Amino acid sequence: MAGGGGWRWRNRPPRSCEDYWWEWRHCRGLRHAFHHYYAHGARAAAAQEALCKSERARVEEKQKYAPVWTFRKSPPPDWYLPLDQDSPK
Amino acid sequence: MAAEGGAGPPGGAEEEEDDLGYRLFPDRKKKPQSFLVRSLFTFHNRCQLMLRMSLETNPYAQLLLAAMKQSGCTVFNDRHFSCENCDGCVSGGFDSATSQIVLCQNNIRQQSHMNRVVAHELIHAFDHCRAHVDWFKNVKHLACSEIRAANLSGDCTLMNEIARFKFGLKAHHQTCVRDRAIRSILAVRKVSRETAEKAVDEVFDACFNDLEPFGRIPHNKTDAKRAYKDFLNRDRYNANL
Repeated sequence: MAGGGGWRWRNRPPRSCEDYWWEWRHCRGLRHAFHHYYAHGARAAAAQEALCKSERARVEEKQKYAPVWTFRKSPPPDWYLPLDQDSPK
Repeated sequence: MAAEGGAGPPGGAEEEEDDLGYRLFPDRKKKPQSFLVRSLFTFHNRCQLMLRMSLETNPYAQLLLAAMKQSGCTVFNDRHFSCENCDGCVSGGFDSATSQIVLCQNNIRQQSHMNRVVAHELIHAFDHCRAHVDWFKNVKHLACSEIRAANLSGDCTLMNEIARFKFGLKAHHQTCVRDRAIRSILAVRKVSRETAEKAVDEVFDACFNDLEPFGRIPHNKTDAKRAYKDFLNRDRYNANL
């Protein structure tokens, strides 16, 4: 499929239009500005600009820190094991 | 154990257990009490009711339960939660040895507190489920999970901090997260304050910005509900990214 302007029927945006509308309204509000200042110590103008970046850029920005842990390929083997009250501990 | 909390391994000598936080949870090693004693003389029933309310209605808990199920760790109320009496001021903990979240029925008196403790401990459980977290031997691993739990569970909202008479605005959320992470490490590990602070400082940037599964810092229930909705729509998100 060729690229180009506009959304084609098989190129949906990552989130629904209602989500982007909510996000835009939320980012412009005073409450969000306050929470951003409380959490990051900086004004929220940068966050509003981030909304305009592509979603891919936002995902890449989140991944720039090296993880502390090694991630599992499968859940812990003892997650579902029954509790054994009598086992020596 | 991780106290609103830390994780600890079971077994070993008493001295080793004291190093890992089990002294705060004395009921972990005892046989369960009879139904009558538990119902009449403890806050067990109240704890169970509040827990159920939290799991069914609180968006923080709902998102974490969905994320854990997606990661292969479905949470069952009667297997993965335990209401017990605890020592001191601790509110709860995650016991990685038994894959159980312990809720301190004698210290949790309000539904809002239960919501926060459940979210906090579920974040530890989520980290245990998705990563090889060395709870016992690596202080940095423990520090990372404590940073994430303090950051994402609502522990450090402005109102909670004001209720603790801790006032601050500019980036105070980060100060709170850092302090609470250090405090949790010191509660469950016999390490010096300097060691705890160093571990937190080394991993702070990476772990403060690890917002899984929320994708944002939820400052209130509205943010948490939005994060939950985004999580449920993640397949579309990933497919169209």
